[in-house]
Amino acid sequence: MNFYITYFFIAIGLFGFSALFALFGVYAERKISAFIQDRLGPTETGKFGSLQTFADILKMLQKELIIPAAADKLLFMMAPAIIFIAVYLGFAALPWAPGLVPAKLNLGLYYIFAIISIETLGILMAGWGSNNKYSILGAMRSAAQIISYEIPAGFALISVVMIAQTLNLQNIATQQGILSPEKVNFSGFWDVSSIGGIFAWNVFRAPHLLIAFVIYFIASLAESNRAPFDIPEAESELVAGFHTEYTGLRFALVFLAEYSMMFLVSMVGVILFLGAWNTPLPNIGAIQLANWTSGAVWGILWIIAKTLALVGIQMWIRWTLPRFRVDQLMALCWKVLTPLAFACMLISGIWRLWLM
Amino acid sequence: MNLAQMLFYVMSFIALASAVFVAATKNLVRSIFMFFITLFALAGLYVLALADFVAVTQIVIYVGGILVLILFAFMLSGRETLNAMALQQKQFISIGKLPAFLLAALFLIVLLNMIIKVDANNLEWVKKSIESKNDIPVNAAMTEDIGVGLMTRYLLPFEAISILLMLALVGAAHLSRKGRGA
Repeated sequence: MNFYITYFFIAIGLFGFSALFALFGVYAERKISAFIQDRLGPTETGKFGSLQTFADILKMLQKELIIPAAADKLLFMMAPAIIFIAVYLGFAALPWAPGLVPAKLNLGLYYIFAIISIETLGILMAGWGSNNKYSILGAMRSAAQIISYEIPAGFALISVVMIAQTLNLQNIATQQGILSPEKVNFSGFWDVSSIGGIFAWNVFRAPHLLIAFVIYFIASLAESNRAPFDIPEAESELVAGFHTEYTGLRFALVFLAEYSMMFLVSMVGVILFLGAWNTPLPNIGAIQLANWTSGAVWGILWIIAKTLALVGIQMWIRWTLPRFRVDQLMALCWKVLTPLAFACMLISGIWRLWLM
Repeated sequence: MNLAQMLFYVMSFIALASAVFVAATKNLVRSIFMFFITLFALAGLYVLALADFVAVTQIVIYVGGILVLILFAFMLSGRETLNAMALQQKQFISIGKLPAFLLAALFLIVLLNMIIKVDANNLEWVKKSIESKNDIPVNAAMTEDIGVGLMTRYLLPFEAISILLMLALVGAAHLSRKGRGA
């Protein structure tokens, strides 16, 4: 029975981590947006305003949970839970370090792809349950956007899987460094199996995977409803989109889901393209930087650092670019990203057959 | 009763109960959301049958795709259509429902017949394939097997399905296009 207790601890740990990340993420987002817009951001609560999000959470916990009179009560109450659980379940398959993965699924990537799509359902549920025209408009925009952007994201992922030949995220991670059981080539010609470091990462294994990474990153922005793809919650047109009617703890849950989603999609991107828990430092002759900086603790450190860097880029993009119009959004997805992603998949097939 | 059996019964109960709710409720939106639970319980049953790839595919296609599209179509249709649907005749037995009744009853007879007649523990073809080593062990790589199977033995049906989907796609594009004068 002992391993069941371990499972519970891991599940609680992952929940704690996502809550902690949301707290940190909201603070970071405020400070980054303030920096970009030449403001100061939170300064009063705690040193440099660092306790601002704790204060906000305390405020939210005390707030009344309002259910609109015309709402479908059951759907309205269940929606935030479903939105969050869908994202939270995705964390189960993500590897953190060599030999350190909550659930060793040989379908890991496919499972995450499936679980994320449940979030759409939760958003539609929230929109319909609120019985508010802004909510339902936001929910429908969100669903249309997520379904559309799943296609380029999916094909960008498939082009990596075709090179890696596995859906197991831990195996994909292992392949991108000195611990790789097979030969790793830097863009097809230079054998870097013993050098490792940044050269063994998937983005450099084949040149078209760099394009696939950019496609995936753009699509992941759209899937987590972040600006410039935030038409589902466009403040200037829809009040707050699908979570207009939510208050207190339920609103906090929707927010938690958004930040967990940011971390999840960034971490999937890091695992597939940016070398997962592998070190960016290569072995240079006698200076075995890659050997020195590999291992369980280093792995966790590297993957968190890389993921936070991607999350930082997401925030940077949010506060720099203006929002897309619906038609621009769809044109970008269907006329640019989808054909490019198809091309990447095709090149991956040719690459695997003739160059590896 | 071990854990797997218990899980099987729990999930079958959830699947059946939610399916009954889907068919019986008057609230259309709730029945769609309840269908989501049915599909999830079915995915769980697939996992118990060691078909994890099928389980995940079930979630990707049905929950992430079809169910969301059904909801979409539902939310796009006007309130009048929905009200008309809600105001359908309330009595359980009526002449308009006769074809549905017949179909359901016939299907029930077929199913019952099969369940009673089949001897699930020693099927002929299962025994034969185990004897000739034509079976997949529990810990085998499922995805690879499915991929190789689709590209070799089942290539013709696979291609036929893709042509069918292509036709549907072209048809949908044609219907949604603003016709010039048509």
